[in-house]
Amino acid sequence: MNMQFNNRDPVYVQVVRHFKNQIAKGFLEPGQAIPSRRELANQIKINPNTAQRAYKEMEEEALIKTEKNQPSRVTSDEKVLQNLREELVGQAVNDFVTSVKSINVPLDDALNLVKRKYEKGDSND
Amino acid sequence: MIEVKDLVKNYGRKKVLDGVSFTADKGEITCLIGVNGVGKTTILNSIMKLTPFKGEILVDGEKVRKNTFEKITFIPDSTTMIPSFTIDEAMDFMNDYYEAWNQGRADDLLKFFNLKREEKISSLSKGNTAKVNLLLGLALDVDYILMDEPFSGIDIFSREQIAEVFTTHLIEDRGVIITTHEIHDIEHLIDKVVLLDEGTIYKEFSTEEIRETEGKSVVDVMREVYRG
Repeated sequence: MNMQFNNRDPVYVQVVRHFKNQIAKGFLEPGQAIPSRRELANQIKINPNTAQRAYKEMEEEALIKTEKNQPSRVTSDEKVLQNLREELVGQAVNDFVTSVKSINVPLDDALNLVKRKYEKGDSND
Repeated sequence: MIEVKDLVKNYGRKKVLDGVSFTADKGEITCLIGVNGVGKTTILNSIMKLTPFKGEILVDGEKVRKNTFEKITFIPDSTTMIPSFTIDEAMDFMNDYYEAWNQGRADDLLKFFNLKREEKISSLSKGNTAKVNLLLGLALDVDYILMDEPFSGIDIFSREQIAEVFTTHLIEDRGVIITTHEIHDIEHLIDKVVLLDEGTIYKEFSTEEIRETEGKSVVDVMREVYRG
């Protein structure tokens, strides 16, 4: 696992964001075991208390499940996964709209550009 | 918990610390930050009773006494071990001297730092000297660890390796107070910052909280103080 952190967002928020992306992209599959808190802290070089906080947050959002003496696992709950995808798409659209609006691109032009780009499939991702 | 209350220290007529108070919890890494000469090392020396001071210091609610030092280890920024010793001999020495010495943990640390037992203290590079210092301190089964400038004057790869210690079981659940001005190396590893300026505490804050509530990095806060 490789993560780049910025210094101005809480690290736990960045960790949660990273996991959300991994899950939405299918790199982490439903039911898949994830590292323990300490393993994660060690792998990505963050404070173990911060790793703990990130896992707690993900448990509260039902993204992961932890049963006694078992590794934490990615949820298999289809509804949670669907909500997650919607959340991430919503965020991406928000970011897009904000930056397009700020340079005064008319909506139709922007949509056409999106369509062309999407069909060509040559985004950088 | 280590509680420092209203610590005052003068060197001659010069006031170095002018009423410094803060706490450092077990299971947390507390970082004392400040420019050179701000009194960071003096604070650690005061906790260890290596220097006289005014004020009060409590460890787990009790005044520092002789047996308090079974709970605390102080890792200085320069070697205090006998130079002609090999690392092995240094470990034997620690074993004879300290009841809290944990050879298993020392062996883990040797491996972690890639150090050779038969190497002489006097022939170690700066980076490896810092690692041996850490090894000798961290191998003690104590609740609190004080580290004075563990990153000072060593190469980036040694610094990385030392920073990695903080995420392992070698620190686990212990209380750490660390002084540094190389905050970049450990920005994501520390729980709390005590920022010193002109003998007093400018700000004491949780690193995650300041990012969350003010969108600031530790360096941002430092810049406010030192650049005005």
